[in-house]
Amino acid sequence: MSASAILEVTALTKTFGGVKAVDDCTFKVPEGSVVGLIGPNGAGKSTTIDMVSGFGRPDQGSVRFDGEEVVNRPPHWISRLGLIRTFQAPREWGSLTVLDNVMLGMRAFGRESILRNLFARRSVRRGEDADRVRVEEILEQFNLAELRYDRAETLSGGQKRLVEFARVAAAEPRLVILDEPMGGVNPVLGERMSQAIKRFVSRGSTVVIVEHNMRFIEETCDEVVVMDLGHVIAQGPYRALRDDERVVSAYLGSAEDNV
Amino acid sequence: MTYWISIVTEACIFSIMAQGLNVIWGWAGDFDLALYGYVALGVYLTIAMTTGPPSAPTEYILGWHLPYLVAVLLAVLIVLPIAAIVGAVALRNLREIYFAITTLGVISVLYVIVQIDTSLFNGFNGIAGLVTPMAGPLGLSYNNYKYFLLALCAVVLLIVVFALQRLSSSPYGRAMRSIRDNEEAAAAFGRNIFRSKLIAYVMGAGLAALGGSLFAAYLGAFNPSAWAPQEILTLYAAVLVGGRGNVRGVVAGTFIVYIGFIELTRYLPNVGGRTEFGPSVRQILIGAMIVLMLKYRPQGIFPDRHGVPRSARGGPGPPGAPGGGWRGRLALLAGRSNRGRPEESVSS
Repeated sequence: MSASAILEVTALTKTFGGVKAVDDCTFKVPEGSVVGLIGPNGAGKSTTIDMVSGFGRPDQGSVRFDGEEVVNRPPHWISRLGLIRTFQAPREWGSLTVLDNVMLGMRAFGRESILRNLFARRSVRRGEDADRVRVEEILEQFNLAELRYDRAETLSGGQKRLVEFARVAAAEPRLVILDEPMGGVNPVLGERMSQAIKRFVSRGSTVVIVEHNMRFIEETCDEVVVMDLGHVIAQGPYRALRDDERVVSAYLGSAEDNV
Repeated sequence: MTYWISIVTEACIFSIMAQGLNVIWGWAGDFDLALYGYVALGVYLTIAMTTGPPSAPTEYILGWHLPYLVAVLLAVLIVLPIAAIVGAVALRNLREIYFAITTLGVISVLYVIVQIDTSLFNGFNGIAGLVTPMAGPLGLSYNNYKYFLLALCAVVLLIVVFALQRLSSSPYGRAMRSIRDNEEAAAAFGRNIFRSKLIAYVMGAGLAALGGSLFAAYLGAFNPSAWAPQEILTLYAAVLVGGRGNVRGVVAGTFIVYIGFIELTRYLPNVGGRTEFGPSVRQILIGAMIVLMLKYRPQGIFPDRHGVPRSARGGPGPPGAPGGGWRGRLALLAGRSNRGRPEESVSS
């Protein structure tokens, strides 16, 4: 890839009670690409993305997002730079409606000020109305328009995934990290999600996907980063790596059926 | 009549305190147990600032002879930084039960200090001397004063409710609820959790202190027997009954809990000649009600329905069908509606 890297992870290391969960992990994510982060359970994928997004602190190493060092920065600070992550289990804001979940994805922080909401309600409302147009568009795209006033906690697991994707779509992040987006998702919904990922890219986002579903990885990713025992053992296009000895042996140990 | 004016005044005051709890627990989701400490500080500071210097053997700080309204303002302003310090420590990394235990520790320490260190607020005997504040300048007689105090408390409550209702229905209220519902997801979408929770905590404590300042005018005197740490449970009961997060619901909840339970236990005889029998039964009933509400209707009588427009508030039927409005609430009280039961309102 000739594009410049939007994310550079260098020599990242994290130890939990003597066990090196992530050990000298180094990889780059080219801007505008879709990169799969794969590896057997316990390879250190989740720990790595936690550290990249500010939810964990590495013992050593550096994470540069768009040229900026983000290690030891809090999650909201990194998020405001334009990096949004999701979590393995859907994390809907359950008491809020689907509409509000997606509106929160628009991230109009200035409109959340106490003083503005007490004394400048008209300007707040104008901003809300403008965002609402885009959010309705997104709700249509994800087939959520009918559910807009349903509280998110009342949705099914698959619908919650869609809400999560819709939130990301609203945020239009520079980089989105999807943590096992296919967990518990049926094939029809999976198709919708791979379309959504293509839309993210077409609107200028870079995408990192942590996933065990190899068919999904093959279909959606330009390249993959393979982790095992905390290291990156290979990086490149999925087809080229599928028969790579190290990759196969890493997977054969734990999750044969996935390869 | 005097009795009713007094009890409604008290309910207005407790409603303001309950609004403070609703900001902290209803919106930010933090199970704070120190809140009644801020109420107590509000009461103490207001009395201590409006009365003159103490004369032996009574001891207390301040004694500035300030006008009542100035004292109210200062009392709230003094409580804000105290709450900010407590919040800054407790909200940094502690959540849920750990946060609750920490705040319980705070109020317990405060309670012991105020009780033992007599130089602060005269220890266990407490302080007194705030008699019908503002009656002089306004030319109110002792008989008229109770109407004035009721009006004052009601007006303050209305202003508080008006402002909080604005916040509740705004993008601010939405962001706070997202933090309450799932903090990590809220952080992942750029919300500064610590800052938001701290601001809510200080705001809630300020409302508690404001309620305390009005309580000072109502009581005139205050001592540690009036603010045992478990007093907070009644405020929790009020928020829970009204509907956690729902500003107007919490006002209703406070009136239901305070007036309802006081009325319910008012005519109980003094069993065994013990005057505390009625109040004790009241405490037991409130405790039982908290348990029953948590089990059968945790969303309260008036559930918070942030972001759901009126037209979409019906039950499983089509919009506009019976279910919304006061009729729906009556039906719901009578157990004849499906509203608020998530498993039955899923649209598939």
